[in-house]
Parts: sequence; structure tokens; C-alpha cells
Amino acid sequence: MTDIDLLYYVLELEQPWQILQIRDDLRSRQIDVWVGTEPPKKSWIFGRKPPAEEAREYVWRHANLGTMRCVVHASIPVRANTANLPWCGKADMPFTRAMALQVATMISQGMSLQRVCVVLDMPVEELWKFRRRLDSGQGGLATDGPTATTPAKQSGSPGLVADPDDPVWEKLLDGSANIDIRILSLKLLLTKMREQMQAITDQEVRLLKRYELQRYFARNEKQLGHELAQLRRH
Amino acid sequence: MNANNELLSIADATARIRAGKYFSIAGDESALAQLPRGNWIGGTIPYFMTAAGGCTSRDQVFVTEIPAHGETPRLRLCDLDALPMICHNAPDNGFTLLILPAFSQAHERFAHDAPNYEDMYMKPLAGWIAGIHLDDLGKRTPKVFLGETGEMSDQVAAVIDVPLPAEKMARIDIINLFRQGDGDAITFTEAGFSAEHCLVNGQPAVLSDYLTALRIDTRLPLVADYCGAMINVSFKAVVPSEQRVDFYAPVFPGQVYRIAAPVHDYVTAFQEAIPSGIDGLTFSCNCILNYLHSNLEGRRTAGVTGPITFGEIAYQLLNQTLVYLSVEG
Repeated sequence: MTDIDLLYYVLELEQPWQILQIRDDLRSRQIDVWVGTEPPKKSWIFGRKPPAEEAREYVWRHANLGTMRCVVHASIPVRANTANLPWCGKADMPFTRAMALQVATMISQGMSLQRVCVVLDMPVEELWKFRRRLDSGQGGLATDGPTATTPAKQSGSPGLVADPDDPVWEKLLDGSANIDIRILSLKLLLTKMREQMQAITDQEVRLLKRYELQRYFARNEKQLGHELAQLRRH
Repeated sequence: MNANNELLSIADATARIRAGKYFSIAGDESALAQLPRGNWIGGTIPYFMTAAGGCTSRDQVFVTEIPAHGETPRLRLCDLDALPMICHNAPDNGFTLLILPAFSQAHERFAHDAPNYEDMYMKPLAGWIAGIHLDDLGKRTPKVFLGETGEMSDQVAAVIDVPLPAEKMARIDIINLFRQGDGDAITFTEAGFSAEHCLVNGQPAVLSDYLTALRIDTRLPLVADYCGAMINVSFKAVVPSEQRVDFYAPVFPGQVYRIAAPVHDYVTAFQEAIPSGIDGLTFSCNCILNYLHSNLEGRRTAGVTGPITFGEIAYQLLNQTLVYLSVEG
């Protein structure tokens, strides 16, 4: 297997997608990969032939290759179907699907955003932007493939705090379960999360939100007796 | 009501600091600058609610003692980059007090972004917005102090993280006398400290025109209902010539605001609103707008004492609200 073949393999690039150019900078530990549907030219003297079809240019941060950051520069024909391509992302999102799923998995396992940035070697602003887009429903994680985000379960006292998969959390988030709330932090948190859920259609992101709410209840169960008693009736 | 929280002379406050305990201190800049180094954070403001009633003082300071149960509290100044991590870096069990200088970028960024900070609402966060004497507007800037080093800043936040033992827990709550009135539903499509356009009952409108036409008393805030918590956004200025309305906290899209119903007697209403059983409060603060509009100078608020501030923090930025923190267990 050649180096290029290996790169095709790790990026999961298949026909008709081609690697057009590679730039690796060992000093800054980043590899940039240009991807499109045009075959590479043997000589750059004559420049690239304009694509036959109109294409849009995107830049996404991809999952790291070893210790190297990987950035994908993609030239995507307008009518191309890129759904589920792991090296591709959504327009206006900073990450490829593979990277988005990796980040979401880390967050769902309880890793702090700061820690995620350290592990993946990315600026915190990029991660915040991604997180905000998920929260506002502008981005998603769902693919046709198997679900990778199985959030870490927070254990409350047995029988007091429902399991994260319990449908009561979705009901609380969509407002179909309305309870009397005495604790200020829950009033504010639930207001924020209900507004977010109105915009979020991606099922994986909705799952993350349910787990986030359950984590709040598990963490604060000593103060939430009044609220938990009502949830047990739903 | 508030244990160990009172207005003190510089000499008395100095003695307290030198005893080695931990404090959050409010006072005029010239008063705070006289305090010795020690375990305290401070914010500028010369207005206070004391056990004797509301008062103004430039040469006394309001001292709030912070309980230290075993593990040592951590005091620091917190810049813009570190502010979003304030809850993440807070103790696993405990609380955080935060003081921000009014009119600073830190104040603005916190107002906009706090609801989305990591671990926000998971860990108790309370605090206040430092201000100045109203006669000093335009001449001085609000500041925070870090007593450990003697530093002061009009740009960064002062923070104290207070760990608590497992059997204790901090609780933050508010007393907001304002309720949504019966008037129109007002919504916004963008977050911000100012607004030109809005929707009134779903119809596009220019907010300044709406307020002027209906002769709305802008001493009454906008009020949104957060799952039963009434959250205010106070009016700062209405500028019809520029079709602009400025607020003391940002409005957010997704919330339905209504002009507040009037409160006719703040002190009486406050007495009726205060929950039974709140005692030995660790911290509390109330809004300068309540102090001014309700003529609280010389009047008492049921023994709940603390600085009178340019904004209040109960997880997020609030206006015209009393915030209090208690340690239970």
C-alpha cells in the first residue's frame, strides 16, 4: 500500500472522490488534503482545468491523523450527494462528520470542552461555535450508520432519578410533562433547553440534551425532592 | 437575616481582614483602596441596604463574610478568556461569587454568553455588577479588587470559589416583585443590549415608537417567564430619534416579554414576598433601580442586607431583582 493509498483508506475516500493535493507541515503538525472529483494534474504549470460542473469550496477540520491535525479542503459539485461521507461536513459547520461525531462522543462521555480542545488540539472558539450550532439546531450528528454517541449515564440514587433513557426526560424537555419547579437553576436550565429543543431536529443531539438534563437531576437530587416526586408520576 | 454581613468603617473592616477570614466587600473605590491585603474580593459601589435601612456612603464598606468549611476558598481575577470556564472550574460542591465591573467587556460578554457556559446551572453562581456613585458617571469607572494582591481592574472579573463539605449545599434564589402585566407580548429576533425592531403580538413594530405611543412607564421592566421564574430586563434609555431602545441586560429571542405590572409599595410587597425560613443568608444584593424607583434610602427590606448594585447575578445577569445565597445542611 502506498502512502497515498493509505491516506485514501484512513479518510475513507472512494470513487469518484480524489485527492487533488496534499500539504503536510510537520513543524505545525498539520496535514491539509484537497479533495474533489477532478483527477490530479501531473504538472501544475498549466493550472487546473475548470471543473465541468459548478462546485462549492468547503474547509473542514477532520479527525486527527495520529498527532497531526487534518484539514479537508473539498470542492463539492452542487448536485453531489455527500450525505454520510465521513470526510465531509455540513455547510457552515467547522467539522467533518467524523470529527463532529468524535467531539460529540467525548462531550457525551463527560469530557469538558477544555479537555476536548487539548486532546484534539483545536482552539476553544472552534469548539464553542460547533456546540452553539448544535444547541441552536443548525447542525446535527445523525447518520445512516450506527450511532456512536452513547452518552455516559449519571447515576442518581436508585429509584430517585430516572435512567437517562426514560421517556420522562423527553416529556420534560418538550413541555408535555409540566411540573411545579421550586429550584431557580432548574427553571433557568429548563427554559434554555426547551428553547433549544424547539430548534433541534437531529435525534442524536436531542439524545445529548436528554442526558444533559438527567445529569443535572442526578447531580442535584438532594435539592430536587419536590420535582423528582412529580416526575415519578409521569 | 444576613449573618456576619454589615456596613463597617475602614478600621473595623481592616481588623476583620487581618483576622484572616474570607470576604466579599463592596464600597466606594476610595474606601476599598484603603483596605489591607487579605482574603477578599471587592467591587465598587457606594449604595447599601443595611439593617437600619438603605444608605449611601463613600467611607464605609459593606463586608460579607464568606464561610470557609475546611477547604480553602480560591480567590482570583478572571479575564475574558477564562470567564466562560467559570462554572467548569468551580468546586464540585460549593458555590462561586462573581463581581463584574459595569460597562466592561466582561460584563457585556457575561450577559450574552453566560446561559451557554459549560456547567452553567449545574453549579451555584451568584454575584453582582460593580458600579459607582451616580454623581461619578462619566468621571470614574466601576472596578473590582483582588485583596490578595491589591490589584484592581475595570475590565476583568473578581471571583471567589468556595468549596463546601458534602453535607452542605449552596442554594441561590431571587425575589423579584415584578410580574408580567396584562399587556402585549413582545418578542425579539436577535439578542442584544439594544433593540430597534421587535414583534408585538407577532406583528412587526419599532419598539421605541411602541413605548412612546403607549406612554409606557419605563421604570417598569420587561418581564419574561422562565418556567415560573420572572426574569427582568430593565430599560436604560429610549431614543426615538434613533428608533433605539437600550437595556441593562440583553433581551433574547425565544422569550416572550411583557411590560411589568406596577408595584405600588416596594417595602410592603417585599415583606410579603420574602419566603419564610430564610435566615443566615451568606450573600445578597439588590438593584440600584429598585433602590431609586422605590425610594429605599432609609427604608428596610425585612433585614435582607447587602450592596445595591448595577446588576445582579443568579447564574445569569438579572435586573431589578434581589439575589440571595444561602448554605444549607
